[in-house]
Amino acid sequence: MPALRDRLTVSVAAATGAFMVVQYFVNAAWSDGVYRTLLDWMQIIFAASLVVGVISVLRNHLSRAISKPQERWYSLILIVSALAMSLLGFAFGAGRGSSFLWAFDHLQAPMQSTVFSLLAFYIASAAFRGFRARSGESAILLAAAFIVLVARVPLGESLSGHASSAADWIVNVPALAAKRAMLIGIGLGMVATALKVIAGVERTYMGRR
Amino acid sequence: MARRIIFALLAAILIAVMLSHARSSVPVTAQTQGVYDAIAALDSGAVVMMSFDHEAATIPEVGPLASAIADHCFRRGIRVIGLALFAEGNAAGHELLARRAAAFHRVYGTDWVYLGYRPQYTAAILGMGESIRDVFPADDDGRSLDSLPLTRRVHNYHDVNLIVSIADGSMPTYWVEYAGARYHTRIVAALSAVMVTSYIPYLGSGQLAGIVNGLRGAAEYEQLLNAPGAGARGMAAQSAAHALIALLVIVGNVEAWRLRRRSPKWNRKPS
Repeated sequence: MPALRDRLTVSVAAATGAFMVVQYFVNAAWSDGVYRTLLDWMQIIFAASLVVGVISVLRNHLSRAISKPQERWYSLILIVSALAMSLLGFAFGAGRGSSFLWAFDHLQAPMQSTVFSLLAFYIASAAFRGFRARSGESAILLAAAFIVLVARVPLGESLSGHASSAADWIVNVPALAAKRAMLIGIGLGMVATALKVIAGVERTYMGRR
Repeated sequence: MARRIIFALLAAILIAVMLSHARSSVPVTAQTQGVYDAIAALDSGAVVMMSFDHEAATIPEVGPLASAIADHCFRRGIRVIGLALFAEGNAAGHELLARRAAAFHRVYGTDWVYLGYRPQYTAAILGMGESIRDVFPADDDGRSLDSLPLTRRVHNYHDVNLIVSIADGSMPTYWVEYAGARYHTRIVAALSAVMVTSYIPYLGSGQLAGIVNGLRGAAEYEQLLNAPGAGARGMAAQSAAHALIALLVIVGNVEAWRLRRRSPKWNRKPS
C-alpha cells in the first residue's frame, strides 16, 4: 500500500508539474480552464495547511506547557493569545472597527514591532564587541560596512561628498556581483529541483526519505 | 556592563531625537526617483495596485513609505486597488489606505478599493493575471467587485498600470517572476532597508522600475512630494543611531588595538 501511495503521489506531482510547464506555451481554452482550476486548488490546499499548522503549533505548546515547567508560561501565553485572537475574529468579525482589529493594532503590531526594534540594540552592542579588524580580510569587510553604514544617512553626506558614491559603488559592484552569483545559483537550483520532482527523482516533499 | 551602557545610550539618543521632532533631509537616489517617476508618468484615473506584503513587525518602517506612495497616487487622481498577500499586512494596509484616502477626500469604490487578503501568494499573483475576480470575488467588506465603479472595469493586470509591492521579505521576487515575467506588468517595490540589496539586481535588469529603500526612501519620497512626515522624522532617529554605531565600531577597534599592543596573544582570542 505505501508503494502504491508513493507512486500515486509522484504521478500526480509529475503530471501537474509537466502540465504547468506545457500550458505556459499553449493558448487554448481547455488549458486555461485546467490552469485556473489548479490555481484555485493551490489556494485551497494552502488554506487547509494553515489550519493544520495552527493545530500543530497549539499541540506542540500544549505539550510543552505540561512537560516543561521552565517554559510553561511562554507556551501558555502563546496558546491564550492565539485562542483569544481567533475568538475575537470568529465571534465579532475582523473588519474595520472590530475588536479583532483593535487587538491587532494596539497589542500585536506594537509587540511585534518592539521585538523587531530590539535588533538595533543588539547591533549596537555587537558593533562594539564583535566588529573588529582582526585580519586583513576582516579589515576590508569592516571598512566596507563602515562606509555603507555612515553614507546611508545624512551624516555621511556632511562628512564627505564622496561618501554616498563610495557606498553606492560597494553595494552596486562587489556586493551585487556576489548577489547575482547567488541568484543565478538559486535559479538553476530551482529549475533542477523542479525537473527532479517532475521526473520523480526528488521525493522529500512527501515528508519521508 | 558595557552592554547595558550601550543599550541605555542608544535608547536615550533615539528617544531624545524622536521627542525633539527633528527632521532629516537626504539627497534623492535614482532608486526612489524611479518609483516617483513611474507614478508621475501615469495619467489621472490610471490604476495602481498596492500590495501590502509585510508583517506587523515592520509597520513602523514600511508604513511611512506606503503612506508617501499612497499620497502621491491620491494627489494625482490615480486610483488605488489595495490587497495583501500576508495576513498581517491586510489590516495594516486597509487602515493605511483608508486614512490616506480620507486625507485627500477620495471616495471608496470610485477612487480606491481594498480587496483583502488571500493565502498562497504564488497562486494569487498568477490567478489575478487571468482574472482578479477568480482570486477576489468580493472586496474586504464582502461587496461584489462588479458593484464598485472602480473594480467593475478592472479585470486583470492588463487593466492595472503599475503594481507596488510593499514588502519586508521575498514577495517582490514573486511579483517580478509571475506578474512581471508572465503578464508584462510594470512593478516597483517599497522595501524595509534590510531587503534592498536582494532586489538591486532586478533594478539593473529593468524588472523593477524603482525601489523605495526603508525609512531613507520614505524620507526621500516625502521630499519629492514636498511633504515631510514620518519618514523624515524616522530618518533623523536612524541617523543618530547610525552615528552611535559608527562611533562604537571605532571605539571598539581602538580598544582592541590597545589591548593587542599590550598582549601579543590577544588577537587570537575573542574579547
